[in-house]
Amino acid sequence: MKGKVSLFVPCFVDQLLPQVALDTVKVLRRIGYTVEFPEDQTCCGQPAFNTGYWDDARPCAERFVRVFRHADVVVCPSGSCTTMVRTFYADLLAASSLRDDAIALASRTFEFSEFLVKVAAITQVGATFPHSVTYHASCHGLRELHIHDEPLQLLRQVKGLNLIEMTRSQECCGFGGTFAAKFSDISAAMGTSKAESIAATGAEFVTATDPSCLMHLQGILGKRNASTRTIYLASILAQDGQTNASQARESLAKKSFAEAQP
Amino acid sequence: MSATAAQRFLQDAAVKSADLMHREVIRRGMDSYDAAHLKGRARIKDWEAARQRCQEIKREAINHLDRYLLQFEEKVAARGGHVFWAANSEEACAYVKNLATRLNVKTVVKSKSMVTEEIHLGTALEKAGIKVWETDFGEFIVQLREEGPYHIVTPAMHLLRGQIATLFQEKLGQKIESDDPAYLMAVARRVLREAFFSAEMGISGANFLVADAGVIAISTNEGNGRLCTSIPRIHVVVTGIEKVIPRLEDLAVLWPVLATSGTGQGITTYGTLIGGARQSGEADGPEEFHVVLVDNGRSQLLADPEQREVLHCIRCGACLNICPVFRHVGGHTYGTTYPGPIGSVLTPHLNGIKEFKHLSYASSLCGACTSVCPVKIDLHHHLLQNRRNATEAGATKASERLMFRAWRHAMLHPRIYALGGWSMRKALRIAYGLGLQGSILDPMRVWNRYRSPVPLPAESFRARWRRDRAAN
Amino acid sequence: MPQTDRAQSENPSREQILQRIRAGLRTPVKVEEPAATTSDRMIFEPIQNPLERFQQECIANLMECALTADSTASARHLADVLQSLPEGEIFVQDDPSLRRVVELAAPGRAIRWSSQGAPSEASQATVTLAEALIAQTGSILVTASCGGRGASVIAPCHIVYATIPQLVPDLATALGRASREQTLDHNSFACVISGSSRTADIEKILVQGAHGPRRLVVILQTER
Repeated sequence: MKGKVSLFVPCFVDQLLPQVALDTVKVLRRIGYTVEFPEDQTCCGQPAFNTGYWDDARPCAERFVRVFRHADVVVCPSGSCTTMVRTFYADLLAASSLRDDAIALASRTFEFSEFLVKVAAITQVGATFPHSVTYHASCHGLRELHIHDEPLQLLRQVKGLNLIEMTRSQECCGFGGTFAAKFSDISAAMGTSKAESIAATGAEFVTATDPSCLMHLQGILGKRNASTRTIYLASILAQDGQTNASQARESLAKKSFAEAQP
Repeated sequence: MSATAAQRFLQDAAVKSADLMHREVIRRGMDSYDAAHLKGRARIKDWEAARQRCQEIKREAINHLDRYLLQFEEKVAARGGHVFWAANSEEACAYVKNLATRLNVKTVVKSKSMVTEEIHLGTALEKAGIKVWETDFGEFIVQLREEGPYHIVTPAMHLLRGQIATLFQEKLGQKIESDDPAYLMAVARRVLREAFFSAEMGISGANFLVADAGVIAISTNEGNGRLCTSIPRIHVVVTGIEKVIPRLEDLAVLWPVLATSGTGQGITTYGTLIGGARQSGEADGPEEFHVVLVDNGRSQLLADPEQREVLHCIRCGACLNICPVFRHVGGHTYGTTYPGPIGSVLTPHLNGIKEFKHLSYASSLCGACTSVCPVKIDLHHHLLQNRRNATEAGATKASERLMFRAWRHAMLHPRIYALGGWSMRKALRIAYGLGLQGSILDPMRVWNRYRSPVPLPAESFRARWRRDRAAN
Repeated sequence: MPQTDRAQSENPSREQILQRIRAGLRTPVKVEEPAATTSDRMIFEPIQNPLERFQQECIANLMECALTADSTASARHLADVLQSLPEGEIFVQDDPSLRRVVELAAPGRAIRWSSQGAPSEASQATVTLAEALIAQTGSILVTASCGGRGASVIAPCHIVYATIPQLVPDLATALGRASREQTLDHNSFACVISGSSRTADIEKILVQGAHGPRRLVVILQTER
């Protein structure tokens, strides 16, 4: 066994996109890590922080630090939530008694793809995904965590995967958290531009390091009746080629966000 | 009741977001800029080193602002120039207006200056019966349309040639034979040339105030700025106090970086340096030289150590060009002198956080602006700080404050959080089951207006984890 | 400069603004130390062959650059350029070397000299010397001593008569020298000119010849 990772599951993944976390666990286990999920966790505080309510975000951040204080290493299937801990906790908790713990925790908190490539030093995870895929460079991962190549390195090792580059891959998809609700017209327009870039690739799937981007894009793509579906990075890597075709299609339907409506 | 700035912004943003023609025009303009910018970057061996140096120069200037402003003033005054320090728009406009009326100025030719837009100098002069000609080609165009500049570097980038040809036909009283850009420029040249040679006063801005040499530096391409500062009898410079740089040699890196970020050029066609009125023995030049140093809220921003670096801005426009929000709503939607990321960061400081905080929220915080800023201003983090400042100033809605109070309570208590999540999923499932999706009662109607609904999972991750754990 | 009472009453805001600045700056900013100190060498590629670089940049800037061996050749080139222009007055910087070369090149041409004042609006061309040439950006540095301000911008064609020894490698050198020689104390104006006037304000399409010269010609003589 390689060691233990503590899973940090973003609140919206926990409540709305559980498959993202399930596939993250699957991949981590497959490459030899024990995964523990501190069940006491709730939210890193990002929604309040981003909206300017730092006094409300602060106690959540402190709670988070306490919940994960014992962790050897923390892995999170989201660039934006990882950013919250790595980039913003030090400032947010500058006056807190937990400041030093926060800084120490930040140094061992990783986004999923950077954990695989930079910490575990693995790019080949034994995945099979015989489909065309295009990659959207989620903003937090790209510009706050400086994740440029890691997801691509992982995707290039996936058996059968045809990676197609999209133009303007680094342009924001338009989600931006509460921005999507407060400025929904602009958010949708940005999403539509992104959908056009995606459509131009002709890829069957689009993936990213942030499931929030993918949730927003699936909504936009679905409204346009686009053929491309979104799928989180770990969900691609979780495909191991051991299931038969119909099982694979079914599990794929669950993993892509374009499920049938309940 | 008239709409607030925030309400107007939302309305204009809604219209522009849906305007596919506008998006196409801007997209083409920005693609052109992107290509030129890449070429420009390739001419600089180490772009990151260049940004670092520019940041250092501006940081030194701003953090010793009094020293460098006084050095600049001393040199200008020693040559007979006049330096006037204006606390705000009113004082700046009054100075220029009084100067103009005292010297019997009937016509002013003006080269591009965002500060003059900020203080509404054109309006103040026209009220005093003085004719003001905007001579920058893009500014000339938007002046005829009676609108403000769309972009701080390319004021008319939202217009197609056909629209400009029609505009000239309507407003210039002459037959316009073609919409070819070269033809239209020639028309403007003829019209403005008369103005250059008859105006009594030329007004310019300044890209930089060089402290050790006591000169202003202006970066232009068209030559209109040159003519404004060569022919009329009086030259007035209107500039923000933050434009100062320590040394003449600093321009060796600032000029190429400004040009690269602004237009993709290696350097602008004209890098003009002016230290005063004409000296005896010179063939021509203005007889009087005035510099109006405008504060208008800048000294207040200076006092905020967290955001002081916002004053480092060299007004290149790169952040506007890369911003996906700007690309989708355009410059006019912001309703401010300065649009785009720098405008969103700066305007609450110049014009009040209560009225303009919405601009700091109208961003997905993607960080592209920060990544291109040639003086390394941490723009998107300043937007975050503005949001925090807004809530701390009590400028946000009470309902939102309460909502986050409740949210915090839930997040501090896992059982409440889990119950809250479960209830939300349940409520949505019921709503969808009742066919309320898309209706006024749809709790997710903001989402569902533009997107297909989020699929609802049967159980949360933690419930599944607990179930799996119990099974083993 | 000490503030006189009269100046204080004319511009009371001056002292207020300075006070606000000083008060604001009492709180220092936090500065992260950079990874390495920057130096000029890191930012721009050093110029190996200034003459070659200058010529390349002139082409890119849409400027004309003609190499000539001596003043006779320069006069010939100047004659060619002037003949290609419409009839009409030209404006020339009043300098002995220019008097010589213009007399050779265009003996019958109507000339207004800079000693007579500003160029007239209808000038067909202006002819001036330069303070320096800059290889890095393909620029000419002119000052008020080079025939005044209008000399390099009023006419549709600006012709610069320069020599190779005037060529410096880069902006840093040119500006450094201007600083040391206090060029801007002796001249109210200077300008680094890097091409013909232009605009891209309509649809980002480049149009040459906006308000300034459409044509910028550099006659670059090997030696004076």
